Amino acid sequence: MSRAIAAAAVLAFALTACGSGDSGGGGQAAESRTLTYWMYQDRTPQAGEVVEKIRKDFEKANPGVTVKIVKIPKDDFNTKLGSAISSKTGPDVSTLDQPLVSKYAKDGTIVELPAGTVSEGTYFKGAYDTNLGTDGKYYGLPLDQTGVALFYNKKLVPTPPTTWDEMKAASEKVHAADPNVAGMVVPKGDGYGGWMFPGIVAGNGLEMADVASKKILFDQPQAVEALQLWVDLLKSSPRKITDSDQPFQNGLAGMMISGPWDVPTIREQFPELDFSVAPLPYKTEPAGNIGGENAVVYKTSPNQDLAWKWLTFITNETNNGPLADALGGFPVHTKATAVGSGPEHEAFLAQLKVAHARPAVPEWIQINDEIIAPAIESALLGKMTAQEALTDAANKTRSLLGWNS
Amino acid sequence: MSSTPVVAGRRRRRSAPGRRRDHVIAWLLIAPALVYFVVFLLYPALSALYYSFTDWNLRTTASWVGFQNYVDLFTDEVKYPHFWKSVQVTLQYTIIAVPLTLGTALIQALLINAIKRGSNLFRLLLFLPVVTAEAAVGAIWRWLYDPRYGLINSVLEVFGIPGQNWLNTPELVIPALAFISAWQCGIAMIIFLAGLKGIPGSILEAATIDGANAFQRFRKVVMPMLRPTTFYLLVTGVIAALQVFGLVYVIFSGAGRSVTGGPEQSGLAYVLHLYLFAFRYDAMGAACAMSFILLVFIMIITAVQFKFVKQEAA
Amino acid sequence: MRRLSIYGALIILTLISVVPFLWMLATSFKHGSDIYTKVPQLLPLDKETGEWAGTLENYSYVMEIGGLGQAFLNSVWITLVLVPAKLLVDALAAYAFARIPFPGRDKIFVLLLGGMMVPTITLLIPRIHVTQALGMFDSPWGLIVPNIASVIDIFLLRQFFLSIPKELEEAALIDGGGRMQIFWRVILPLSKPVLAVVTITSFLFHWNDLVWPLVVLNDPELYTLPLALQQLVASPDGGRAYYIMAGATLAVIPVIVVLLIFQRRILAGIAFTGLKA
Repeated sequence: MSRAIAAAAVLAFALTACGSGDSGGGGQAAESRTLTYWMYQDRTPQAGEVVEKIRKDFEKANPGVTVKIVKIPKDDFNTKLGSAISSKTGPDVSTLDQPLVSKYAKDGTIVELPAGTVSEGTYFKGAYDTNLGTDGKYYGLPLDQTGVALFYNKKLVPTPPTTWDEMKAASEKVHAADPNVAGMVVPKGDGYGGWMFPGIVAGNGLEMADVASKKILFDQPQAVEALQLWVDLLKSSPRKITDSDQPFQNGLAGMMISGPWDVPTIREQFPELDFSVAPLPYKTEPAGNIGGENAVVYKTSPNQDLAWKWLTFITNETNNGPLADALGGFPVHTKATAVGSGPEHEAFLAQLKVAHARPAVPEWIQINDEIIAPAIESALLGKMTAQEALTDAANKTRSLLGWNS
Repeated sequence: MSSTPVVAGRRRRRSAPGRRRDHVIAWLLIAPALVYFVVFLLYPALSALYYSFTDWNLRTTASWVGFQNYVDLFTDEVKYPHFWKSVQVTLQYTIIAVPLTLGTALIQALLINAIKRGSNLFRLLLFLPVVTAEAAVGAIWRWLYDPRYGLINSVLEVFGIPGQNWLNTPELVIPALAFISAWQCGIAMIIFLAGLKGIPGSILEAATIDGANAFQRFRKVVMPMLRPTTFYLLVTGVIAALQVFGLVYVIFSGAGRSVTGGPEQSGLAYVLHLYLFAFRYDAMGAACAMSFILLVFIMIITAVQFKFVKQEAA
Repeated sequence: MRRLSIYGALIILTLISVVPFLWMLATSFKHGSDIYTKVPQLLPLDKETGEWAGTLENYSYVMEIGGLGQAFLNSVWITLVLVPAKLLVDALAAYAFARIPFPGRDKIFVLLLGGMMVPTITLLIPRIHVTQALGMFDSPWGLIVPNIASVIDIFLLRQFFLSIPKELEEAALIDGGGRMQIFWRVILPLSKPVLAVVTITSFLFHWNDLVWPLVVLNDPELYTLPLALQQLVASPDGGRAYYIMAGATLAVIPVIVVLLIFQRRILAGIAFTGLKA
């Protein structure tokens, strides 16, 4: 049709595209400085607005500074970050997975938090300590913290269980009442299930590992019982039901384990669903896991001072509340107020108070994905007993880490 | 793969200066492709080969470890617990997906070739699946395979076949993936169709006059004449299947889940495994070693295929 | 009877290949939880009341918030530049390999073929380094230049050029035509079928390519369609089927349009092969 117009449009676009491409590298003229910040992609458009507002506020407070935010899906984040760092096109400052902080610190990719940047007690200790390097120094700042709790369908499970036995009973009851409905969405033997597992084990009074004395503990009876719990729950929760898209949201499962990020999503998308959130059931003591995002500053950045300024700004008393909410978690600044209220909110806050961090081992991601997750799956599929699966996994972990004892 | 035999008598017409000019032209013609080859294929390949002998994680300088990565991949079940599983998954996938895809493509091409009215429309519709972005293919099929809301189970149930939990049953994962690959057979179909159009009608007519029925005509005339096409598709199909990645990556990722290759690693394709070590477990050196193992394997398979065909032809 | 069964078989096969698209299309117009019905429902009806509840919201969401509108434009112009350029580079090289004898020709060709077998994932990181060194990282040229030739296409084209009867060229040579004239006037016009196949396959490949744009582009303004779609699929919020299906529909429609436009040319190409043989 009108090829000329199309060509003109293409050309115009090409010009603007090149222009914006050039400014990407982080120009550093004295007056106008550009800070490139990489973060995970927004969970919702509202979250994007929150981040945008904080960005504008920062630029207003620091004339001449432009903050360029690049948002990348969580799944692809480490791929892109690794490629970019390797070709020296990485950001000045970025979000980083908690378990990667000590790794990046070890090989000198990121810089130590300069003394005096934050004062003692600014952040909750649990979250702050996820930024420790293997040398005992801090290499980043926490952005938010999060954990999982028990979501329950009020129609199917009127009172939330607090103990493992109650949870099993509740699950059986739901499935017995309607064989087309599962008791709960039992986690699977994948990376995500592996991430939740330590929280369950901690509910039986055990840590996955004792890093200080180099001991792997997750083949102890307490951990075996935790895995057996999932195996038992699966009997009243057939996967054929729970593997469909959004089973809990569609009223096909009585309970599920998930994080705070799911609450607004479910409310918006499934307004009919009558649900609430309770702390995770436990056996010997209330417990849960901890996750969340940290942020670090790169050695190659010419704007390190500005980068730390940005990080302390987004995690300050005023901004951390809305930011954490946008990221789907809770604030890490001790004085920040968490957005939201209600029973769900309380449940997650209670959960975070008893949170146990994953073992601070740089290889933990690989151990989680390649050793623990398959062991969980073998037990869930009945190919091994819980004891066999965990003994095998623990032995593999020991020899991988060289912790032979 | 021999080059064209140059018929001496004809070439004699070109004079010596003409030949020299030819050489210059030839080099000019291949220059862009050659530069591309050196810069974006040869150099990266050699540099990856170097990295395969190092311990490297993208952020640090690589340190030389000799053959350690290769030895560990083959023997260290603690460091690489799923290496052999990924080999097995990939071979299974290749063995199921390639014949299924080529078979479907050939049937489609034969059917389209047999009709006049509407052949354009059918060809377009059958070609549709290929044009879909991998990200979309994964999303569409995850939805179709859904155990409860998926169309596939609904259709099966109409025929009294119980629905399956396709992507979460280890035994069903590879067949389910192979089916997607066959669904996307459009390019092979077009190439087969081109091959079929290339078979002179006169030969088929002659065979018909000689009393050959449709099946005999297919076996004795069509298949032999399609042999080069089939061979080309087979070689490229195997090479592609051994490198399957995007499909499994999209099918088993998304919505915050980490990709570990499906239930019991039943969808852990070789390249997905490689990718995980490169970018998730921080072992780029080992990942490079994996890719050279794959390269050698592909070369062997291709050589075997060529040899097999030569023998058949002889 | 025979004709009937052929059409019957074709219709069944066509249904299998088309139904996923209809399903995608249907889902893309549905509203919220209406997609979760036990009995598959093609029309966008309200789950509870069964009334018409079609919506275009999903499309406006993915276009504006998902950034698919911009990504669409990016993809269009990049493929418009890349595909013809690549075709030219490949065809020139293939012509030399097929027709012009020069010392070392076959050795170079075999070397190229070896390159065809290198798994692309192997080359990823070093290619990023090269792209960076050339100053093309995070720019559209980083998508074009590192893809400017394809060994497999050179191979395909060469095989086809070899099958063109030499006599046609000889005649032109005797008439005093140069190599380039032969290439433009004789070889290319005779090679429409293979050119069509190569154009279509490389268009599809680059239109849909995900991994390379993912690692080479940082600036969201430059994202291509598959990359934007992947963002949508992977985001916790966009994990919703109806958004993804709306995005996927947007990605597929232009390709269908291209196919419809080129349909006749491809057909002509294939028919031409038939005539020639």
